[in-house]
Amino acid sequence: MADTMGHSAATATRNTSVALGFCLLALAPQIFEFIWSIGTIFGWGAGRGPATVLISHATALVAGAPVALIGSIGGDTKKASSDVLLALIYSYPLFAVAILTIFMTIRSAQDYVGGIVLMALALFALWASSDLQGMRGFSFGAGTAPRMFGGLLVALGAGIALTGLLSSGPAMAHYSWRGPLFVMASIVFFALAIRPLGVVVSAFVSFLIAAMGTHETRWIETVIVGACLTLGCALLFPYVLGLPMPMFPRFLAQ
Amino acid sequence: MDLFANLAHGFAVAFSPINLLMCLIGALVGTLVGVLPGIGTIATVAMLLPITFGLPPVGALIMLAGIYYGAQYGGSTTSILVNIPGEATSVVTAIDGHQMAKQGRAGPALAIAAIGSFFAGCVATVLIAVLGAPLTKLALAFGPAEYFSLMVLGLIFAVVLAKGSVLKAIAMIVFGLLLSMVGSDIETGASRMAFNIPELADGLGFATVAMGVFGFAEIIRNLDAGAEMNRDLVQQKITGLMPTKKDLIDSTPAILRGTVLGSILGILPGGGAVIASFAAYTLEKKLARNPSRFGRGAIEGVAAPESANNAAAQTSFIPLLTLGIPPNAVMALMVGAMTIHGIVPGPQVMQKQPDLVWGMIASMWIGNLMLIIINLPLVGIWVRLLRVPYRLMFPSIVIFCAIGIYSVNNAPVDVILAGVFGLVGYWLIKHDFEPAPLLLGMVLGPLMEENLRRALLISRGDWTVFLTRPLSAVLLAIAAFLLILTVLPFLRAKRDEVFTESEN
Repeated sequence: MADTMGHSAATATRNTSVALGFCLLALAPQIFEFIWSIGTIFGWGAGRGPATVLISHATALVAGAPVALIGSIGGDTKKASSDVLLALIYSYPLFAVAILTIFMTIRSAQDYVGGIVLMALALFALWASSDLQGMRGFSFGAGTAPRMFGGLLVALGAGIALTGLLSSGPAMAHYSWRGPLFVMASIVFFALAIRPLGVVVSAFVSFLIAAMGTHETRWIETVIVGACLTLGCALLFPYVLGLPMPMFPRFLAQ
Repeated sequence: MDLFANLAHGFAVAFSPINLLMCLIGALVGTLVGVLPGIGTIATVAMLLPITFGLPPVGALIMLAGIYYGAQYGGSTTSILVNIPGEATSVVTAIDGHQMAKQGRAGPALAIAAIGSFFAGCVATVLIAVLGAPLTKLALAFGPAEYFSLMVLGLIFAVVLAKGSVLKAIAMIVFGLLLSMVGSDIETGASRMAFNIPELADGLGFATVAMGVFGFAEIIRNLDAGAEMNRDLVQQKITGLMPTKKDLIDSTPAILRGTVLGSILGILPGGGAVIASFAAYTLEKKLARNPSRFGRGAIEGVAAPESANNAAAQTSFIPLLTLGIPPNAVMALMVGAMTIHGIVPGPQVMQKQPDLVWGMIASMWIGNLMLIIINLPLVGIWVRLLRVPYRLMFPSIVIFCAIGIYSVNNAPVDVILAGVFGLVGYWLIKHDFEPAPLLLGMVLGPLMEENLRRALLISRGDWTVFLTRPLSAVLLAIAAFLLILTVLPFLRAKRDEVFTESEN
């Protein structure tokens, strides 16, 4: 008896965490824009400042969207702002899914979560193409095809999520953090460094960062192999293949 | 005979020193990629795409083609000797091939794999040459409605032949179609889903996504299991490459069946080498008088899948060269390579670029000959390569991929995008989604949209045009029929059986 109770409690907590995850997903674009906007304080990139972003999204989520929703039922076809549309098209459906999730028995978390995330991607695409022109008579507008495929993907995602509820299957797979983190860090470093620092520095440092992706790395051999590889790349790409790329850091070359 | 004149012309092109060299490089790199696990054909072709900038188009395509079929050879070597399939296409070869190696018959297994591959390669080369011209004529009768229906059929094939859930495979295709919409609209020029990022205005690069989903994601996934893979090398020297008379008699029908099956599955859009090898192995097991021999070192279990994957790797060029429709992800990258050199794939390529088409076809035969020479006597060198530990290999692959993507457009943003798609690919693997249909959807997306729009414009918005034009109706009917078949429970069980073969 205690065993079954423990089991159901475990499912319940897991469901809440899945639901919380979906809530986070529902707000992900807004959060992303907020983090991005912090850069504008330091003068990086163009866009709205963090305060504007925060206020605009908050009002859109709390007030704008419900008003627009009621307005649309009342037959009012006023053009809603992009933030309000984001809340309406993307965030609200996902919040609804998150609430529903709490009451569901998930038989296969792998399928259920996979389906819902695909649905979220499709909803996001629907929002992103909402400003494009639709059908003009019988000719396609720029937005027709994205909307068609977006709608289809929403349905398919929902279908996959449904199979996750109806038939039992594997639970969520285990994610490790070390490999993805260091490989990503290495890629991002390379992307940022190649222009200012050149092939030699960026390839070598990226190699070392990527090597941290596993705990089995032995540093001496890694440094030697990294150096050889860097030398090889520095000869192969710019000279043998004639691809234009800087070799050494800009401040040294001048 | 037109055919012989064409082939002779092709050989004249392929035997020029530069093209011979390109063919050799392609075959060598392909073997290398096939031998090394953890780096696949798709990632390699994507990585080498920028390298072909400086080459003449014929040489570039000859090299890229060589990588694709060369990898089929290399994969078999490690499957047999080490029980590590370097490529997904030789997974089934490992079952019986490694058993043979354990019984001390590694030599005959390798030889039969090579002979089977060579035979299949020769047949496929002839097949491309024979089918090329008539299919091109057929393609000229195609209007936009037919093209659209044909692509639908191709995508449905991809679903049918994909592993796992049908729903998930369709979702991946639609996701790919959606990704292909990013960038400028072809007709109106409106920027779609680009979020004012200038690098996205041109659309997501196909090579970028391919490298992320197949290159980076694969590395991250491999790191999950720990970098140290156990590699119980078969240490004894490989003696006696020559198969016995009995081996040859046993494997001849298997090679023939594998070649036929592989050729058919290669031509079908959405097919390709992986499914061909699985299907050929299953067929052999079904036909065998004593199926229990399979899994214990049956030579047919090596001969059939190896012939099939090589045949399929080559015949998958047929839809690309005649219809301009890439049947799988590697062919999609070939489209990228062709467009880099200003060649628009499609029915007109055969007439306008005879050098390219026939030169490539002839080079396939030469390449197959080279591969036999590269693989059989040099097998020891390839096996020694496996001693390179993964902890040193994966950072190297990361760097090569990064430099490769950067040099496609000289755009650092592309590198970051590829990284992001690496994470997406990792997530897809974790949720049991197949990335191959995604790539196919992404490639066919713009073509499909364009033809759909054009068809509807011509028919003045009448959607029934797809059903009233006979060719288009037939294609759609086949697609619908296939989809229904796949969903039927009886056939699903069969289909799953083919794929679980490798796991036990």
